[in-house]
Parts: sequence; C-alpha cells; structure tokens
Amino acid sequence: MVNVKEIEGKDFNIKRSAEEDRILSFKDHVCIGCGLCEATCPVEAIALDEVAPIERKYTETYFSGHEKIAQNYALFKNDNEVKAKLCIDESKCVLCGMCSGVCPAGALDLTIGGVSIKENEAYPTLIASAEIDEDKCLFCKKCEAACPRASITIDRTLPNRADLVTGEIEVCEDDCIYCGACAELCPAEAIVVDKTTGEESIVIDKEKCVYCLVCKKACPVNAIKAVCRSCSYGEYDLDPAKAAITGNAIIDKETCIKCGWCEGVCPADAATVKQAFKGTLEIDEEKCGTCGACIDVCPCNVLSFPKSSGPGDRGTHLVKEEDYCIHCGACAKACPNGALTVTRTDIDYTPTSSKSWIAAFEALKN
Amino acid sequence: MPKHIVSGLKYLESVELRKRGLSQKEISSQIGVDRSTISHYLNGRNISMDSIELAKTILELSPKDFILITKVLFGDYKEIRQIVTIFNMNHYDPQINDGCIGCGLCVDLCEMKAINLDSLKAKINPRYCCGCLMCVENCPTKSIEILEVKNG
Repeated sequence: MVNVKEIEGKDFNIKRSAEEDRILSFKDHVCIGCGLCEATCPVEAIALDEVAPIERKYTETYFSGHEKIAQNYALFKNDNEVKAKLCIDESKCVLCGMCSGVCPAGALDLTIGGVSIKENEAYPTLIASAEIDEDKCLFCKKCEAACPRASITIDRTLPNRADLVTGEIEVCEDDCIYCGACAELCPAEAIVVDKTTGEESIVIDKEKCVYCLVCKKACPVNAIKAVCRSCSYGEYDLDPAKAAITGNAIIDKETCIKCGWCEGVCPADAATVKQAFKGTLEIDEEKCGTCGACIDVCPCNVLSFPKSSGPGDRGTHLVKEEDYCIHCGACAKACPNGALTVTRTDIDYTPTSSKSWIAAFEALKN
Repeated sequence: MPKHIVSGLKYLESVELRKRGLSQKEISSQIGVDRSTISHYLNGRNISMDSIELAKTILELSPKDFILITKVLFGDYKEIRQIVTIFNMNHYDPQINDGCIGCGLCVDLCEMKAINLDSLKAKINPRYCCGCLMCVENCPTKSIEILEVKNG
C-alpha cells in the first residue's frame, strides 16, 4: 500500500490505489498559506512553507528588514522552481482528507472513487458561500474591482448608443457650404465633411450622433435641422428593453474565498457572502514592525498601511477592514513579531457522526 | 512449486471438511476443486507427502504470516476467506474507538475484506477477521483493537 505522488509544477496529487482510488490534490494558486491543514493533519505529514506571500514580487521591499524572511526569500528567488506553499510527505499521508475538510480556500481536495468528500454527506464541510443575484445585479463591476482574488467576472452588454438618443440631425445640402465647423466640433465624431471641389459632401452617422446640437449651434448658414424624435412626431420613446444593461456575474468557485468584499461594495445588495469562521483579528501596534508580511499573505485585502503610497513606503501603522477577514490566520503565521492574533470563536460546518472529525473542526477554535 | 503448496492446502481443506461430515460433492463446490480430485485427496492418492507436510507447516504460522502466504498462493480474496475460515479456529472481537479518522487505510490493507467504512468510521466484520493485526499495526491513530475470544 504505497502512496504515489504526481507533481505538476507547484500542484500535486497523492494517490492511494485500492478498490476505490483515494486522491488528495493540491492547487498552489488556490492555497492561501493559512496553515490550518498543517495544524490539523493527524499524522504530521504537512509542512507549510515558513513564508507564503501571495504577491512575492513585493517580498523584497517589504521584508528587507527581517533577516530570516529575507533569507527565505533568497531561497525562493534562487530556486528556479519556486517552491509550493505546501509540502505533503506522501510516505506519511494516510489520505484521511482532514486537511481538505478544514481548508478554507479549497486548495486541498480529497476524492474517493472520483467523488470529492465535499459531496459526501458522511464528511463535514465548512459552510461558506458567495453568490451574486443576477436579477438584482446592476453589472457596475465594483465587486470585480474589489475582489482580492480576482474571482469575479462581470460580463456586461451595454445598450446601443443610438437607441438612447432622442433625436436626429439632418443637413440641408442646398444651404450647406461644407465649411466643416460642425465636423470639427462634433464630440461624437459623427460628421464627415468632404471638401473636394465639385464633389463636396456632408454625411452624418446616425449611429454615432448623440443629438447634442453643437453642430446646429455652430453652423454659420443654419443648414442643420434638428428633429426631436420624442416630441415633434410624438411617437418616439426610449424602448426600455433596448436601454437596459444586461450581463452575467460569474464567481470563480475555485479561487473565491468568501471574504465578502463583493457584498460590501455592491450598491444593489446583489451579492451575498457567508463566511465559515467567526472571530476576531487583533493587531498589537507595539509589536508591529510595519514590515508588510501580513499584507502580502492576507488573501482578503484586510490589512493595509493607510499612508502608504506603494511598496517601500511603509506608512506608520497597520489598519484592518475586519468585516472582510475570514479569520484564516495566514497573517498571524507570517508575522515575524507575533503582532497579529486571530481568534476563531465559531465555525460553521455540516454535521458528522465522526467524533475525531468533530474534534478536528472544533480544534480550529482557539 | 506454488501449485504443489496449493494442492497440499486443498488436500488439508478436503480432509478437514470431510471430518465435519461434508459430502465429496459439497467439498468440491466449496473449495472449487473437481470431484475426482477430491476423491483422490480423500483416498490419499496423487498427492506428495512433502506437499502435505509443507501445508501443515503453513497452517501453524501466525495469522499474519498465514494470510500473507495465502495471498501469494491464491490471490483472490474469496479463496483467502475460504481457507482462513476453514482453518482458523479462533474468533476475534474487533473494536474501533472514537479516534478513528476514517482514512480507510485498514479497509485497503485487509486481505479478508472484513473492513468497510461506515459514516467515517471503520467497521470490522468479526466473521471474517483473521486476527492478522495488520490493521492494528498500520492504523495512524491507533484506534483499532482486536481481542481474541476464548473458546468455551
């Protein structure tokens, strides 16, 4: 009964083949480096890398004050194959799936006979979700910009500009002197004037015209006539169906960590997020060395230096947006000074009859 | 050579089942050997004494060694179950404590296929437990205990 480890880049699978294959898969780009798996593993087969910054490009600047972390970074940098955040000793792993059960990001997943334990009722699963109600969504893309994991895609279709314009411009070519003033001034570049002697012409692109009337006001010979479609003929109205913004709001379930930023910024209450952990995040300002390690690892963009103008400019103190903290503890693990304390007071998970699994989930509280 | 050992064991199985009053026909269907061979076995023909001696020695091995050697000889778990249940006079009372994490390692290791997972906990069918203790030795959380039931 020997486990086989298949490594592909920074991802890997550990497989035990029997009547039903058990496969534990790890995806490095999904891993948030919180280390809950390491703490939970009943056979101590998991080792989290000492520092697992998500944005390693900032590491050098932020971490320069800390010898230990700088050394670690040097290892990353000199290693052609950058190490994965997690290492699992396949000879120790028994493929029980506890790491997969407690992983708040879903970076680890155990499948038995091809079915994830998240689909298996016998196994407890963290209850967390993020959804966007497309009926309410205004497709404003604020969540897309706020999502710290770039997990949201808002794919929207705007109405045709011509459908929103209430009038039309017409030119009386008998009067027009083809001076081109209207074309130069038109903000929508809807007018093209050809001044070629003998072949003069003026064309107005009705798809582009926004009926602002700048051309009419500028015309020195009053050759432009404006026709309002909503009043003169009394029959034109905007078709609400044509004026509507439509689209899709898509959350990438693989990388979404249910932090709640989308819900926080949504102006239409279309996003709903449920976190699995409740707790607190405390910053000890006395101990904080403003190195920024926590900012690098925080998967939820909860921590920041308010006065920082970017990497290198460290600001003076750390601030938090605790509403969006998932209490994973990655920051506390990365902090070289022990300045951060994450406490989980409540954990929401589906019921199980297994006492050892209940104990493992309850142990996440501290 | 393995074939000779197998026939030695089959011989001993036939003799044992005959002692229990089974007919040649019943023995034939139980151990999967044709009736004429059973008849030869029971009349002491066409079987070398060396094979019988070797088979007897195998029967005296510890349950773990016995099951490992039968696995090599028979391969199929139904045959392994057959021979173990015929010769293993001991009974076992397997117990799983709450430390069980449901990793299923014991399920995959058990040559008797006596173990399954029930709601994230191992469950051992005492009828098929051969007392080899491989599950106990390999359980990562030391959650299995196999007690021997004294006869009488």
